[in-house]
Amino acid sequence: MRPRLFEETVLPHLDAAFNYARWLTRNDTDAEDVVQDACVRAIRYFSSLRDDDARAWLFTIVRNAWYSRVSRKANVAEGTRLNDGQDEWPDNALDPEERLLQQHTIALVRAALEQLPVDFREVIVLREIEGLSYKEIAEVAGVPVGTVMSRLARARERLQTILKLNAPRETLR
Amino acid sequence: MSCELVERDLDAYLDRELDAAASTAVREHVRTCAACRRQFAQRETLSRLVRAAPYYSAPDRLRARVLAQSSQSHSVRRVLTWAAAAVLVLSVGAGMTLWRPASRRGDVIAAEVVNSHVRSLMANHLFDVQSTDLHTVKPWFLGKLDFSPPVVDLATSGFPLVGGRLDYVGGRPVAALVYQRQKHTINVFVSPAGGDPSTDNVVSTVRGFNLLHWIHNGMSFWAVSDLNSAELGEFATALQAS
Repeated sequence: MRPRLFEETVLPHLDAAFNYARWLTRNDTDAEDVVQDACVRAIRYFSSLRDDDARAWLFTIVRNAWYSRVSRKANVAEGTRLNDGQDEWPDNALDPEERLLQQHTIALVRAALEQLPVDFREVIVLREIEGLSYKEIAEVAGVPVGTVMSRLARARERLQTILKLNAPRETLR
Repeated sequence: MSCELVERDLDAYLDRELDAAASTAVREHVRTCAACRRQFAQRETLSRLVRAAPYYSAPDRLRARVLAQSSQSHSVRRVLTWAAAAVLVLSVGAGMTLWRPASRRGDVIAAEVVNSHVRSLMANHLFDVQSTDLHTVKPWFLGKLDFSPPVVDLATSGFPLVGGRLDYVGGRPVAALVYQRQKHTINVFVSPAGGDPSTDNVVSTVRGFNLLHWIHNGMSFWAVSDLNSAELGEFATALQAS
């Protein structure tokens, strides 16, 4: 196996890294800083990369870079808190279902995702948009697979509520 | 299977994280239970909506900055790396077909396939012919290759064909067919199998990309993507069934 280059091993995943960071931070400037930090680390620790998992490896580093910025700022304020709170999402009703299917879809989905606690938002992005397996998400987020599963289920329940996808009556509970 | 159990397994089922037996049990139950079926439909709608969320690509200035940092800190190592690569390429080129075991050759091809995939995305040279119409894509290869690659659209299976191009893998020109799954690009490299017998899927992962290789009807297929291996397998199944 010939030696690998950072440019061809890690850099192809820069868009994915940025997308992930952008959803973690919810703004462009912070996402850029996080990915920049992460890449400095990735370059430094490049030799520790096993051969088969550059993308998940980069996600893990992005998450660590983001986490150390958040805790350094001690800005565990609104929206960036790490615990998921108790079902306290804003009650501002979004539009009815048919409007979802029209031109506001993207804006509404984005708004819905952005009001999720970051732990929930992260599992949704990694699973639905990046297509990671439960095991890979668990490694990136540093939590057991069981936690990934329960976060995913709860995140989806919340999104369904925010986006008003739930049936009028809950018949199964 | 009860509704409670199905509800517990709902997400794992839709995320393809259940084993075959459990998946079958869920499917059976859902067929006969309207309440669970509604839950399924909601989840599927949600999934479709979430995948319409914006995808934020890295700004060019960030990419440039990272590249600069990387080449700075790696300039010495890079010279060594290229030297080692050159030696390896020379030795592989000289000896591979004579004494390298077949699997080694497979490794080399796999690495080439991933390189081509990455190059096609980085250099923004994904298509020579950009079309979702297989009747445009298939004839385009005529006269450019000494074989006729099978071209099918898999839009109904959720993998629309988006185009094709000529590429070069394993020392010969090949057809590269490009498919899409949400934000993920799948490159399929097709070339004559050269008399090798048909094989089942061989799965591998190289540098974070998933690969599937199989031989069918005298053609060798390499599918590569950053799509997860379950969905890539689904893609291969759809392609093989078409």
